[in-house]
Amino acid sequence: MTFIVLLLGLGVGVLVGLLGVGGGVVLVPAMVYLLGMDQHLSQGTSLFMLLPPIGLGALREYWKQGQVDLRAGILCALGMLFGAYGGSLAALPIPSRHLQGLFGCFLVLSAILLWRRSQLERRRTVAEKQ
Amino acid sequence: MTEGLGRDAGIFLVACLCGMASGLFGIGGGVLLVPLLGLLFSFSQHRAQGTSLVALIPPTGALALVAYARGGFVSWRTGLLLIPGVFLGGIVGGKLAEKLKPQRMRQVFAGTLFALGVWQALSAWWR
Repeated sequence: MTFIVLLLGLGVGVLVGLLGVGGGVVLVPAMVYLLGMDQHLSQGTSLFMLLPPIGLGALREYWKQGQVDLRAGILCALGMLFGAYGGSLAALPIPSRHLQGLFGCFLVLSAILLWRRSQLERRRTVAEKQ
Repeated sequence: MTEGLGRDAGIFLVACLCGMASGLFGIGGGVLLVPLLGLLFSFSQHRAQGTSLVALIPPTGALALVAYARGGFVSWRTGLLLIPGVFLGGIVGGKLAEKLKPQRMRQVFAGTLFALGVWQALSAWWR
């Protein structure tokens, strides 16, 4: 069990660096299905995992290539601090089962946004080549 | 692209929205922030990802974590075990991101998220 959790962290970490996301989006369902944890417990644990600067190593790689907008990043951090508190207050009274369903809907929405984004990017690359 | 204060305010508002999702679902918020920075503020993919990582460095979920902890919804042991792996994996992923084709990667990721999401929603509501 300990070993599974360690491996899970490593796999999620690769995604963090590769896609610039926090990893919770994969970690929460993984904890629900692989470790059999309750939806609220998975979400709380995921937030705990995000507390230390786990993305620092990945950020260094992006920084070396000048791929960081520091001003926008700080604004985002501020907005997310307050937003996250509001979100958590909304989540706690929701029954676990419905929260899990909502989480699923959220994943589908994120997937559509990501897909759309990559299509736009491909169009731009094609336009630049011409 | 919009300039100056308007752009700053827009980014702040989008981040608030991503934060809401972060607290509601216990995630980092980057999964929304990265595509939105690209779609609304025309960040390149790498720049969006790098900037999203900046937002993940300060403990933005701290207030939300306090709310979950008060409800007894944190498995401290599992969380502690996850941290070293995620940190090391992040370095590997950051190096890989330069080499892999980002478009294909993102499409695979989007497909995986879609499947996971449908599975989660179905298993929650069709029991």
